[in-house]
Amino acid sequence: MSQVEETLARAVSLAREVAKGADVVVRGDARRDANTRFARNEITSNGDVEETRLGVTVAFGKRHATATTNQVDDRSIRAAVTRASEMARLAPEDPEWMPPLPAQTYRDVPSAHDPSTAALGAGGRAAAIAQAVAAADQQHLDVAGFLEHGAGTRAIASSAGLAARHDASRVEMTVTARTKDGTGSGWGNATSHRFGDVDVPTLARTATEKAVRSARPASLDPGRYTVILEPAAVSDLMSFFVSALDARKTDEGRSFFSKAGGGNRLGEAIASPSITLRSDPADPELPSRPFDDDGLPLDPLTPVDRGVASALTYSRYWAAKQGKKPTGRRDAWHLLGGAANDAAELLSGVARGLVITRFFYTRWVDPQSVLITGLTRDGVFLVEDGKITRPVNNFRFNESPVTMMKNCDALTKRTWRIGSWRVPALRTHEFHLASRSDAV
Amino acid sequence: MYLPRAGVVHAHSVIVDRRTFCLTSGFAAFAAACGNAREPLAPGRGTLTGAGVQDVLDAALTAARKAGATYADARVVRRQSESLTTNEDHLVEVAANESYGIGVRVLAAGAWGFSASSAVTAEAARAAAQRAVAIAQADAKIVKRRVELAPVAAYHDVWSSRVEKDPFAVPLAEKAEFLLSLWGEARAVPGIKFGRGTYEASLEWKIFASSDGSVIEQSITRVQPGFEATAVDAATGEFEARRHEIAPRQAGWEYVASSTMRADARKIAEDAVEKLKAPSVVPGKRDVILAPSNLWLVIHESVGHPTELDRALGYEANFAGTSFATVDKLGKLKYAADGVTIYADKTTAGGLATCGYDDDGVKTQRWDLVKDGLFVGYQTTRDQAAWIGEKASRGASYAQDYRSFPFQRMPNVSLAPAKARAGGAGGTIDDIVAQTEDGVLLTGDGSWSIDHQRYNFQFGNQMAYEVKQGKVTHALRDVAYQSNTLEFWRGCDLVGGADAWRLGGALHDGKGEPPQSNAVSHGCPPARFKQVNVVNTNARKRAT
Repeated sequence: MSQVEETLARAVSLAREVAKGADVVVRGDARRDANTRFARNEITSNGDVEETRLGVTVAFGKRHATATTNQVDDRSIRAAVTRASEMARLAPEDPEWMPPLPAQTYRDVPSAHDPSTAALGAGGRAAAIAQAVAAADQQHLDVAGFLEHGAGTRAIASSAGLAARHDASRVEMTVTARTKDGTGSGWGNATSHRFGDVDVPTLARTATEKAVRSARPASLDPGRYTVILEPAAVSDLMSFFVSALDARKTDEGRSFFSKAGGGNRLGEAIASPSITLRSDPADPELPSRPFDDDGLPLDPLTPVDRGVASALTYSRYWAAKQGKKPTGRRDAWHLLGGAANDAAELLSGVARGLVITRFFYTRWVDPQSVLITGLTRDGVFLVEDGKITRPVNNFRFNESPVTMMKNCDALTKRTWRIGSWRVPALRTHEFHLASRSDAV
Repeated sequence: MYLPRAGVVHAHSVIVDRRTFCLTSGFAAFAAACGNAREPLAPGRGTLTGAGVQDVLDAALTAARKAGATYADARVVRRQSESLTTNEDHLVEVAANESYGIGVRVLAAGAWGFSASSAVTAEAARAAAQRAVAIAQADAKIVKRRVELAPVAAYHDVWSSRVEKDPFAVPLAEKAEFLLSLWGEARAVPGIKFGRGTYEASLEWKIFASSDGSVIEQSITRVQPGFEATAVDAATGEFEARRHEIAPRQAGWEYVASSTMRADARKIAEDAVEKLKAPSVVPGKRDVILAPSNLWLVIHESVGHPTELDRALGYEANFAGTSFATVDKLGKLKYAADGVTIYADKTTAGGLATCGYDDDGVKTQRWDLVKDGLFVGYQTTRDQAAWIGEKASRGASYAQDYRSFPFQRMPNVSLAPAKARAGGAGGTIDDIVAQTEDGVLLTGDGSWSIDHQRYNFQFGNQMAYEVKQGKVTHALRDVAYQSNTLEFWRGCDLVGGADAWRLGGALHDGKGEPPQSNAVSHGCPPARFKQVNVVNTNARKRAT
């Protein structure tokens, strides 16, 4: 039993003592995260923090409350339990409250924990960063970036016998290279649960080459364009789409998936047949926690299957109310790859279009159409007759991931990890670039 | 700009016995400064650990010095928060969060080192100080520019938010009843299907001690109530939501209880229904009149962030971006129209970023960023002042909690009201509308987005209205405006008066890697901007 599981067991037993007859759910997150920042071609700051966070939820019938703390000695746990139970006694009844789950069976998932990633250390980070800085120095570029890694255990226990635990490590490195004249900027990134997957020279080269190639951009008017979206741009837009999958909002008539006159769009072709969106904690390329914050087992889910809307997400409460199976809340998503052998193949046949590296400051505009605004950043390139011809200025876009998926006609076979996503690069049409941005 | 809700907070203030602290301090300068202390620290109410905080701070500073630090500071920080959420007629979330710990920052060999511990003991503090020095010494080998700190006076002081009614002491039932009463008002409006109430209160308590001789205890209380009503037209499958415009504030429960929230709840619901039925806006260049509840966010994004010195110099290039307002433009760039003055101020009453001292131990102040249209100032910290040849820090250093490295964060940044006019007229929204032939009036903050050098922005709203011949004629749907920072501010042709000046703000503005959250307010009167690009955001048909 790990230390965090022991802490949870202690918390559950303390809660039983303090709040007799109550339902109790205890969540623990014990982790160590370390990072190094760099900018202007040198290291600027460091962090290394080990912390255990504990959340105690106490419920008397349908009256419930939660207290969290980062102090896990007995006295502090008792204080958190007492606070949660005092608040729960005073809270009005919540008809949406679902009692804690009993013991569950979880699927076996590939290990997401890599001990060497957890142990990388300040020296290991500095060595990786030195490679990126050297690559930038060599080409007389400014470079900034961030390298963060960590490892931890998340666990849940309940008074009904639930016991869930998952260990995971994580590393992410991002590099932004800029030309000294301020007209070019490039970006590269790598995310994994294994530091061994982070190919620093390639990452640095991606950023520096893009910076050089994007310098002195030509002026291009906004409009609707064929675009090749690199993986970071795809995952950014898709993250809004998955937040629109909520069955409750749909049934309540306030979602993209709601239908005029009632009902939902399940079964409708909402995207090109080349689009399949999946979530599977056992994905070997993206292993993740096989349970959610309620301790609910996460089975594979396919919200878009070859272009057809196939599944919505159900909380425990809404599933019970509607007589459905709860799907749980998910973090890890996979947009399946397509047929294109590489990113270059996405350019072929494009008479006139743009390659977009990534987006910035993406925000909701309209939930009904999943309309999102944001800006391009770190490299936009004009494609003419199947070839990249020159860099162009950045743009603001107002566009929906639904339209992106509908107008998509090609995806790369290969997928990349971006945050908690696994996505290909893709080509789509009529993408709405609304205005010019002077930012580089 | 928003971060998800950060882990929080509350507890009780801690006593520092100044005499004991001075006697045991390893830093001579520190002890000397203690001798000049003007007032005793606040009486303590007991710590979570029960340990003497003075011993812990002293252990950190002494260990840092012994390990080779040329400067050190230590912050013991407790953050507490309480949040409530309602769906229609019931409470679905009640949560209390707390975090506590010590962060030690040192300068050694010209480089920063930082380490933190959630255990607040002398032993943990010493270990953190030693780790911080080791990190600084390792980084110093590859650091090209040595850190130089602008001088600062030593302070012994206690500072606290002005709070009439401690929000953590208000009975839960009273807070729940308040939120649920909003739905009671909203549900009476035909077409309204949903209402979500939210409430968040936080207490940030910290003691800062530095090798420059300061010991500063501060206690900052913030509250934010919220309510959103949603209208659904089942027949057409369309829906619209309308959010309240009550800003978060550094204050106690009295701010929530005395707000117009309950009185406005029905109007909020009616607005949501009106918006659903309103005609879609005809896009084009229009004069836009922005209420303070909309304009604060523009100030935040287009003046607040561009005038952060670290950003302007490239320190945030990998994440938040850089700035068009580069150092060579200081004192030269025409940022806004004549008469537009925008100032930074960490002393604004009720401002979310207001405090007595920043996290470098620098006394807070007010200064101009844009004076009568000219770009004249940056936000700085002690280690940044020298970068632009300034002799002292502006006092804009902040770390969100014990475990975070302090860096430059935005103070309250506000638009000064126009000077009083002859006859006293001309300063309110109504006055500006009356002077507008053809325009759009926007109120409340909606969608927001700006590029990574702060040129191109797009903002939404909560409500938009057509203005014709000096009158508001009807509500509009699907409205957003896009502009360029300089074009926009140079086109500001009417600024409202002091009576119409209001504070807006946000509890969770994100910056840095790993991202840190900062609470910040922006005061402004209503103002008019000439010929702004108003766009139509209706993509409902296209996305189906």
